[in-house]
Amino acid sequence: MKFVFSRIIENEISYFHPVNPKLNKHISDLELLERFYADRDNQWLGILLERYTLLLLGVCMKYLKNEELARDSVQQIFLKAITELQKYRVEYFKSWIYMVAKNHCLMQLRDKPGKNTIEVKDSIPAETDETDKESLLLNEKTYEYMGEALKELNAEQQLCVTLFYMEKKSYQQITEQTGYSMMQVKSHIQNGKRNMRILIEKKMNG
Amino acid sequence: MSDKLKDILSHLSPEVDQETLLRYLEGRLSDEQRHEVEKKMMATNFTDDAMDGLQEIKNKEKISSLVEQLNRDLHKKLEKKKKKREKLRFKDQPWLYIAIFIILLLIVLSYMVINRMLQQP
Repeated sequence: MKFVFSRIIENEISYFHPVNPKLNKHISDLELLERFYADRDNQWLGILLERYTLLLLGVCMKYLKNEELARDSVQQIFLKAITELQKYRVEYFKSWIYMVAKNHCLMQLRDKPGKNTIEVKDSIPAETDETDKESLLLNEKTYEYMGEALKELNAEQQLCVTLFYMEKKSYQQITEQTGYSMMQVKSHIQNGKRNMRILIEKKMNG
Repeated sequence: MSDKLKDILSHLSPEVDQETLLRYLEGRLSDEQRHEVEKKMMATNFTDDAMDGLQEIKNKEKISSLVEQLNRDLHKKLEKKKKKREKLRFKDQPWLYIAIFIILLLIVLSYMVINRMLQQP
């Protein structure tokens, strides 16, 4: 169970998929890659990469803090992806392209002394088994532990997590209600979530 | 209660399309819809980083045209590469070389035959 739970904590997965309706939504990333590897037609890569343009722009903006640089970086990441994908097979495209984007941004920051450097500590998440997560989520004991863990969070985290997950408020509403900035709200929610997971894990092992 | 608690650990969220994310960034979603987008974006480091970065773009209205421009450039590059590859593929056809060689050989042989015939009295 511990293993299952750690995998959930470490390997977060989402089905966020910024797909334009026109971009062959019915075809999965893996299928697009398979089609590319089968006939080496670049159009499949075009469809695939286009799905991630907005996310890549966001990641580059986060690290580089400059719109012009971010735009150029997305273009370079596209080129890198096109070149690399010709050389070897990639299975988890979403995780892979995220890693490529982060590495590119880090290189940019290293090459330009004086820029803000951001340490990237996060491991690249791999796709996880849904069944494992479902089994955890269906465990009644987990709910009990979660309720307890929520109460053990510090006041700010408890408030933000409650407002976000229990009352389904948006960041903006929480900001208005609590007086925290949007970034503080986000940070309290994320830290609260992380702490809850740690607490639950302790309870499960204890 | 337990359903809501489940959301804290769950990452089994449905897809968010690009259109919805753009509408979120442009402030064109209801509070409820905003909450849903935020919950899904928080699910992975990738989407979470992207959300942080996109929030830093001052003029949210231009994000959409920026993405379109990047996609147009991407397709142009891919098209260029495709043409280049097709050109190379054409060059790589062994039959093409063999055909050219045979035609040249025939021309030379024809020339030699005609030349000999003309030299004979």
